[in-house]
Amino acid sequence: MLRIRMHGRGGQGIKTAGQILGSAAFLAGFQAQDFPLYGAERRGAPVTSFTRVSPEPVLERGPIGIPDLLLIADATLLESVRPVPLNGADESTTIFINSSLAPETLQQYYQLPSLPVGLNLIPLCRHYLKKANLYSSALASVGARLMGSIDMGFLLEAVEIELEQQGLAEKQIEHNKELAQKVFESLTSVNLQERERTVIKAGSLALLEPRLAADSAPIILAAGNMALRKTGNWRVDRPEIDYKRCNQCLICYARCPEGAISVQESGSPEIDYEHCKGCMICAEECPGNVIQTVSETEDGS
Amino acid sequence: MKPNRKMMLTGNKAAAWAARLARVEYVPAFPITPQTEIVETLAGWFADGTMQGKFTNMDSEHSMFMAAGAASASGVRVFTASSSQGILHGLESLHTLCGWRVPLVMVNVSRALATPITLEPDHNDVLITRDSGLIQLHAETCQEVLDLILIGYHMAEDPKVCLPVLVNMDGFYLSFTREPVSIPDPGLVEKFLPKFKAVQPVFQASQPQARASAVFGGETYSWFKIQQDLAVRHAEKVFIEKAWRFSEMFGRYYLPVESFRMEDAEYVFVMSNSFATKGKSAVLKLRDQGIKAGLLKLCMIRPFPEKAIAKALKGCKKIAVIDQNIAPGRGGIIYPEIVSALFPEKTAGQKVLSVIGGLGGKDIREEDFGTIIQHLGNPKPEGPLYLYGEQDLNTFLKFERIAKPEEVARS
Repeated sequence: MLRIRMHGRGGQGIKTAGQILGSAAFLAGFQAQDFPLYGAERRGAPVTSFTRVSPEPVLERGPIGIPDLLLIADATLLESVRPVPLNGADESTTIFINSSLAPETLQQYYQLPSLPVGLNLIPLCRHYLKKANLYSSALASVGARLMGSIDMGFLLEAVEIELEQQGLAEKQIEHNKELAQKVFESLTSVNLQERERTVIKAGSLALLEPRLAADSAPIILAAGNMALRKTGNWRVDRPEIDYKRCNQCLICYARCPEGAISVQESGSPEIDYEHCKGCMICAEECPGNVIQTVSETEDGS
Repeated sequence: MKPNRKMMLTGNKAAAWAARLARVEYVPAFPITPQTEIVETLAGWFADGTMQGKFTNMDSEHSMFMAAGAASASGVRVFTASSSQGILHGLESLHTLCGWRVPLVMVNVSRALATPITLEPDHNDVLITRDSGLIQLHAETCQEVLDLILIGYHMAEDPKVCLPVLVNMDGFYLSFTREPVSIPDPGLVEKFLPKFKAVQPVFQASQPQARASAVFGGETYSWFKIQQDLAVRHAEKVFIEKAWRFSEMFGRYYLPVESFRMEDAEYVFVMSNSFATKGKSAVLKLRDQGIKAGLLKLCMIRPFPEKAIAKALKGCKKIAVIDQNIAPGRGGIIYPEIVSALFPEKTAGQKVLSVIGGLGGKDIREEDFGTIIQHLGNPKPEGPLYLYGEQDLNTFLKFERIAKPEEVARS
């Protein structure tokens, strides 16, 4: 059985990528299972998806702790606290990173256990989909290609099935198929190895004693530590205020769901980019349309 | 559509497909994670005319279950679904419906109960309805979700049963997990499960009736309650008959309990729901390592198939009952039920260990099965064994330090 784990952010199509790969494997005659994991969060929050592919029935469930193939759509996640994309990876794990940097540079910078496969999906997505960061078809294609056991025909059929179910227009599906084909042809398959599984041994259980109620009820005493969680790198798009045209109506300040817009002494709104998640509600609400949407990923860095 | 068309489906989508194949005519709904995808899918099918009948968004689970019961009493086939806090909120209605003796099928997507609150699964939610009079079938796979709902309608609508059936699946591990599911041919399903015919007088303007009957004097109350018990017990026979008929038509066979590699098993894990898959995988691996392990999966929880359980476990020396639930002050909820099923024919030297794991979606890892085997090897294994490792404790302590920083906790 091959265990594939994908990491990305909400809005990038990571859940769909896992499903396309699952469907492609299923169409190719394998037993498949796919499963996404995300919290009660929104666009930009970390999303993980898992696909298992096997000639035999899959007798595993839930998250994949030890992946054979790791597909990282958003390299900023390699610096996040949770999830830790490299968890369970060792020198036998094939790692793919969506990046324009050379594999050697990536390995050194992120201290990867193996030399990764790199390909910059951003210009490809921009070319075929007119959006830089919709990775569903591209990332599934990377997975199918690296696995080597799934023909491109099955991949393209899977792209069609899954995107049709999501209600995409025929033309958009066509563009996604072209993108998937391009990615497929840009890579070569690697010799993916299923990691040797260890034998079942007894683990050590924690000895739990009753503690005082003050220490054993789920009370949170730390107030206001949300600010410590920097969510700025969740952004796919960045709002930028055109101060020359801003009339300081402060509707953006009132509407920001994260409290990431404050009012300066001058009366102008100011965006806290360390915490702004890029929901773009401010741009939507601004009556003068003076908040611009700037892509964070256009330059591919 | 061709018979036995296979598709990648989540457990939630499989449940919606079963309701569609059963041609249900009424779905009262209230959303709750991780169940929402079921009612969302059905809402779409009612809206675009794929399904005929009425889909209604209700104001709570309490009124949702009442509406489901009332609609069933008026003579239509009903489906509904809930989870966790939703099931708890509707609990009063569930007891009431069972007393009404109305047939319908509902799905519970297991999610652990507050407090603390979570979205991930364990079985405290579904087991709170254990004694309400519902028939309960628990699914291990997305395929089982679909199949058990279809068989469930037969149990619900049997003239001697006429009760709500609950089909359970684990949140996340089944509800959001896609795997290949055979969707049976609608024509064949229609043969297996014909159009709903009410077996009680139905609500209609020309014939008034009261359902919320008040009785005084225990003779009357007791009679109805004993009838309910007899009806639920009878459902086991109906299940076996209909599951056999189902296997003849669709090729998949179900029993109230499933024996997996039990032929010569020295160590047996008793499990239910989706984690039974993990148990089966561990059994195969342990056998490769020379340890004779087996697994007994409980598919039917109510009626409790105690004779089948006693028969399957007869002669087994080392048994671990893995409860993914916790009754504080007592331990696992299923453990005493298994012990009582074994008691009449208890084999000398038989050890039954209570194990508690998988609470709030915590994984049951391969090594946990190794730990259980080790404890079963003790001369006098003591339970409950909490599957909570050193690494789990370290994770918790890390979060605790964030929630209660030292400088605050000390003040």
